[in-house]
Amino acid sequence: MSRARGRAAVYSIAALAVLLVGAAVGMLVTLSVVRPESTPGAGSVDVGFAQDMRVHHLQAITMAGQARDRGADRKVRALAFDIESTQLDQSGRLAGWLAVWDQPELPPPGEPHMRWMPAEGHGGHGAGAAGAGVTRMPGMATSEELAKLRSLSGADLDVYFLQLMLRHHQGGLDMATFAAANAQTEHVRVLAEKIAAGQDAETRLMRSMLAERGAEPLPFP
Amino acid sequence: MANKTKNKGGKAALKAARASVVSKKGLPWGTIAAVAAVVLIAAGVFGYAYVQIDSVKEFTVSEENKDPSENIDGVVRAEYAGSQHVNADQRVAYDQSPPFGGPHDNYWADCSGIVYPVAVRNENMVHSLEHGAVWIAYNPDQVSGAALDTLKAKVEGQPHMMMSPYPGLDSPISLQSWGHQLKLSDANDERIDQFIRSLRANRFQNPEPGGRCDTGGTGFDPANPPPFVAEAPGPDAVKMDGSGIVPQEESEMTTTGAPTPTTTAAQPTQ
Repeated sequence: MSRARGRAAVYSIAALAVLLVGAAVGMLVTLSVVRPESTPGAGSVDVGFAQDMRVHHLQAITMAGQARDRGADRKVRALAFDIESTQLDQSGRLAGWLAVWDQPELPPPGEPHMRWMPAEGHGGHGAGAAGAGVTRMPGMATSEELAKLRSLSGADLDVYFLQLMLRHHQGGLDMATFAAANAQTEHVRVLAEKIAAGQDAETRLMRSMLAERGAEPLPFP
Repeated sequence: MANKTKNKGGKAALKAARASVVSKKGLPWGTIAAVAAVVLIAAGVFGYAYVQIDSVKEFTVSEENKDPSENIDGVVRAEYAGSQHVNADQRVAYDQSPPFGGPHDNYWADCSGIVYPVAVRNENMVHSLEHGAVWIAYNPDQVSGAALDTLKAKVEGQPHMMMSPYPGLDSPISLQSWGHQLKLSDANDERIDQFIRSLRANRFQNPEPGGRCDTGGTGFDPANPPPFVAEAPGPDAVKMDGSGIVPQEESEMTTTGAPTPTTTAAQPTQ
């Protein structure tokens, strides 16, 4: 009796073990988020870039709104309108992708930004070890700087807007360049490329607009 | 033990002993132990992965998890209709304090990561909730120092976040999102971040998620916001169902900027 049954039992348990190991591996694969071409998961470049660039863009939109409404020079107002509408559209695309991926549309509270890219990127501004993240992204204005922007008017507003936005664009460039090269989904890479190229061109424009006004760029990083 | 005892009976006895060993070996304990170990490891990995995935998903908005705040103890919910706008000289008889939904001013309060040092008019703050903002209100008599700094760090510079003192608040801290409120006493309570994760710009719970939080062009000045009014609203206040709303005047439609609230004349403004 026992030998055949015992062997059958052993084989059954072994088969069960193989199934369990398979299921466990499957779960680990889900966890480690290596699902190229399909849905980027938490911790991926795509999700990190989309969340952080969205926050970065939202501040640019806020600053541009000030210059679009109250700028003195029509060229400044037009540039602000361009930046505001472009980044608002891009921010909406990022939010839509995050929603489709079942990921938070904004970075989870209390967690550092930019953990999805190495701190030493391209002369990166980030402090700490690679991937440790930062609490304030490069180029982001402080609350005091934003309050100052709101308090200014006329030509002073034009200059300060150009200074803040130039530094803001400089700060976003590393993020966009890294995502353009490293995101797993093509539409993220394409958008990141466009952001990098567009902001690079606008950076040169804003430098010349500042020079026309006899003003210096803010220090960066 | 028995098969190890010295046997002088020669080959036959040895063979018998060997046979007895073979027959006794019906259950290969070594193999079973190995299999059991693999099963245990697999089960451990399985359970760990499951718990990890589950905890990440718990406060993440998705088609299957439209209101993750249901996983948070103590959240109060109410249904409110959006898009009912009152003028700057009107008040709303809110059914909650602080309010977290209902008719509100045409102009939203700035919610782009702003920490207001002074209490702000409810009617403006409620409009920001409609845009997906989370409002951290605190009782200025009960929250200060390190606790206040902890709360500020959750708000300053963060999209769709705003914070203000709320005189007379019946708990040290109160979190508001459109249709949701959580009152708590500890600035380090983990439910604060869970509430923000679950409800900020939540596309299922907020009427206009992702609506603008900056206020350029509306006339709402975050450096000098319309002040909070402590007195209960009078009988002329707009009801929660929107009755009593006065249509916008033709003159106001063409004016840029929010007119100065007249009902707050008793407050020391400007």
